Amino acid sequence: MHMETHERLLKLTANRRGVMRGATAGLGAAALAAPGLLSALSSSAFAQGGLRAEILKIPGVGVGSPTDADWQKVGELCLGPTKALVQQGEFAGVELTFMGLNNQNLHNFLFRGFLKPWEAYTGAKINWIDLAQADYNARLQQSIATGTVDFDIIEMGAPFEGDVCGRGLASEMPDWVKQMIEMDDYVGYLKAPVGTWGGKTYRISIDGDCHTFNYRTDVFADAGLAQAWKDEGHQGEWMVPITWQKVQEVSKFLKGKSLNGQPLYGYLDPLKGWGGFGFYFLESRATAYAKHPDDKAWLFDPDTMKPRVNNPAFVRAIQDVLDILAAQPNDQLNADPGTTGFQQFLAGTGSMLSWWGDIGSNARTSDSSVVGDVVGFSILPGSDDVYNAKTGQWDTLASGPNFAPNMAYIGWGVYVMARVDADAKLQKAAWSAAAHLGGKDISLWMAAYPSGFQPYRNSHFDIPEWTGAGYDEAYITDYLASEADSYNHPNTAIEPRIPGIFQYYSVAEDELAKIYAGQFDAQSGADNIAAAWEKITDQIGRESQIALYKASLGL
Amino acid sequence: MTRTVVAEVPERPPPKRYGWAGSLLVPAASALFVFVALVQALHVAGVVSFGFANWRPVVCAYLAWGVALCVGQVLRRGEDGVRVLFIMPAVLFTVAMVIFPTLFGLTIAMTDWNLSSTAGRQFNGLDNFRQMLGDAYYWNALQNMVIYSALVLVEYTVAFGLALLLNQQIRARKLFRVVFLLPLMLSPVAVSWMIGKSMLEYRFGPVANLMRWVGWDNPAFFANPWTARLTIEVMDAWTFIPFMMVVLLAGLQALPKDVMEAAEVDGASRWQTFWGVTFPLMLPVSITAIVLRIIFKLKLADIIINVTAGGPGGATDSVTSFIFREYRDRSNVGYGTMLAFVYLILIILFVTGLLKLLNRWTRDVT
Repeated sequence: MHMETHERLLKLTANRRGVMRGATAGLGAAALAAPGLLSALSSSAFAQGGLRAEILKIPGVGVGSPTDADWQKVGELCLGPTKALVQQGEFAGVELTFMGLNNQNLHNFLFRGFLKPWEAYTGAKINWIDLAQADYNARLQQSIATGTVDFDIIEMGAPFEGDVCGRGLASEMPDWVKQMIEMDDYVGYLKAPVGTWGGKTYRISIDGDCHTFNYRTDVFADAGLAQAWKDEGHQGEWMVPITWQKVQEVSKFLKGKSLNGQPLYGYLDPLKGWGGFGFYFLESRATAYAKHPDDKAWLFDPDTMKPRVNNPAFVRAIQDVLDILAAQPNDQLNADPGTTGFQQFLAGTGSMLSWWGDIGSNARTSDSSVVGDVVGFSILPGSDDVYNAKTGQWDTLASGPNFAPNMAYIGWGVYVMARVDADAKLQKAAWSAAAHLGGKDISLWMAAYPSGFQPYRNSHFDIPEWTGAGYDEAYITDYLASEADSYNHPNTAIEPRIPGIFQYYSVAEDELAKIYAGQFDAQSGADNIAAAWEKITDQIGRESQIALYKASLGL
Repeated sequence: MTRTVVAEVPERPPPKRYGWAGSLLVPAASALFVFVALVQALHVAGVVSFGFANWRPVVCAYLAWGVALCVGQVLRRGEDGVRVLFIMPAVLFTVAMVIFPTLFGLTIAMTDWNLSSTAGRQFNGLDNFRQMLGDAYYWNALQNMVIYSALVLVEYTVAFGLALLLNQQIRARKLFRVVFLLPLMLSPVAVSWMIGKSMLEYRFGPVANLMRWVGWDNPAFFANPWTARLTIEVMDAWTFIPFMMVVLLAGLQALPKDVMEAAEVDGASRWQTFWGVTFPLMLPVSITAIVLRIIFKLKLADIIINVTAGGPGGATDSVTSFIFREYRDRSNVGYGTMLAFVYLILIILFVTGLLKLLNRWTRDVT
């Protein structure tokens, strides 16, 4: 079965990257195959196939953005598991408060639509707290610190689990919820310890985040550039780079060149801060250098919380950014990740970019995208060597380049707060609502349509379901394979789920901005970041951070 | 010789007969308020096990105490007490909304309070102040504020020029007055997005394209420290120059006509009239406009947060935008509050000193 699945994957993604992924990530392929991914899923989903096909046609790919009526329709159709466990009107009189995002990627807007039929059926009423993404962290932290948790259900990222679950503020997931949402279907990296704390499960995943590598197929298929590459004496064929060393070389090579009259740029680094989220982009450059296959940790030493951000691996990643600064667009210093992804890459500027799954889902659906037909996907590039933090040496692996996909943010989840536990009816209602949003079928719709979320279940990788909804097979296969390969890679760099993680990222962004502006060299700037991180750790509490970091790594 | 009319002062009415009730009511309400506040404070501190679920009862006790205080004044002092009622609610409101939060803020400024810390708030004396002294980001932001504030003089010059223009009998004067006021009606956040992130956008922004057309190859407004700083300044100036212009225009319209006519009769040129008459007469208004503008300028944050996030490399950071990051992104409440307090004190000292200097200078000039 494994080989069969693997062969199908290779057939579907029969390109250079697919072979590379299969060769370098044997375990990943095995993991991919283990739950019976791709073809095997067709049969597992057979019983629900009709429903899944039906909801995927609402409204249908390429017929415009889904509306509130569509969300309600999908919510109504996916009420089956709820009806099996909850009597009609059982939660009459119950009021729940749901806190989530109101940003343009939909989130709460979507949840409102999905939960409207649930409210109508159960009799419960949901009040909404809508937050802008930029205000989310502050609002949550203030609620926790001042003891004013005024919500029953929260949409929350795994990085905040340390702050919430670590303090006993979340409700433990009842077993019936685990059954209802079919947790076994989650991709490997979203299973425990993610979503758990102290051995208890708290999270219903509704998203699966990771950075993937997005590139322009037209640039790397251009004969003129191939010839120029050869003429300039570069090693190897003109192709999409698979290591950061090659990314650097290609970026420098493309400087000053053009395609179809447009100036070409290589890899795009978002150089402006983004409320802490900008640090993920340095991480994505660094993981191949810093995440050793023999070591789960890569950002801190788990025994001391000593930052690794100033070790040779991270310094090398920072230096890589500095080395191609001149090859990037002239205003790159003021380009945050949003600008880089949506105003540059999707608008045709730049040839390579690390981003979450949104680039792929927007490339063909966003009106502002001009790269829908010429964008390809892969896991993040690797490195010819990897830094071993334990020995202080750079290792060259016998298996070839070291790949370490960055599981940036680990995706959104729905959590129920502990304050509902005192009332059995309230608790059941809260978990029922959360489980409705995290249901297996509704999740497929969220993965396939604009929602703010990307695929996160093994069942999301059944290509025929996507093509049935109207997606182009080659495109969606490439896109989904980059995600699946990242999720199931044996050397993923998992984000530390410790309290205050965004404080670390935020201060790092400030220091990185200074480095990029030329005020510090890579090593000095990285040392500044490490010093600032040490202060944060001491302020939050070193011993508790060590314990929580180890717990989050499953050590 | 003028005749002075002295108003008759009515005889003070004797205290009301319920004065004893007033004398009892106020201490009783005060005792209740202190008791409730103390119980809740001890409860929150973990000293006593009983207490309230939140601070709402303390607020209610404060309101009750305020009402009792007002009623007590009337009961004890009769008509005089009624007069006190005109100001007492405002005083109580100010105490509750300004003085208490300020003092409470001061206590927070002396704590190590990171919202992610399980230890919660810890008193740390002046540690935050000492940390601030060595914080390069804070000093960099202060330095930027000096630059931004100094540029108010340029804004003043432009505003004065526009005010002079609109004070003339020109065509469509009313229309121009409205048009020049429009930027002031816009939220700085809207200015950030419409101008900073759209019109000045490097790839498709119309201003960037115009710059290319006039020969600037690389119209990146936020990639170089000085260009970025000046662009932020221009956006902020564009928003607030109309404010200075309106103030100055009002001052110009209030100038005595006879002095201007006398200068004209004496054969003074326009330039001489301006320097010898208009400008000195306008100094008090000018100082008001400049000081108010500097106070606005010292609060500069929204445009920076939205457009550059303080970059590149802190080149555009203002103190407020830095404090915002320290607070919002890093949940560093104690330190952020200390930074805000020091900034408040610096502003008070600066504005007070500036006013004294300007007053002395105005006296010398006029």
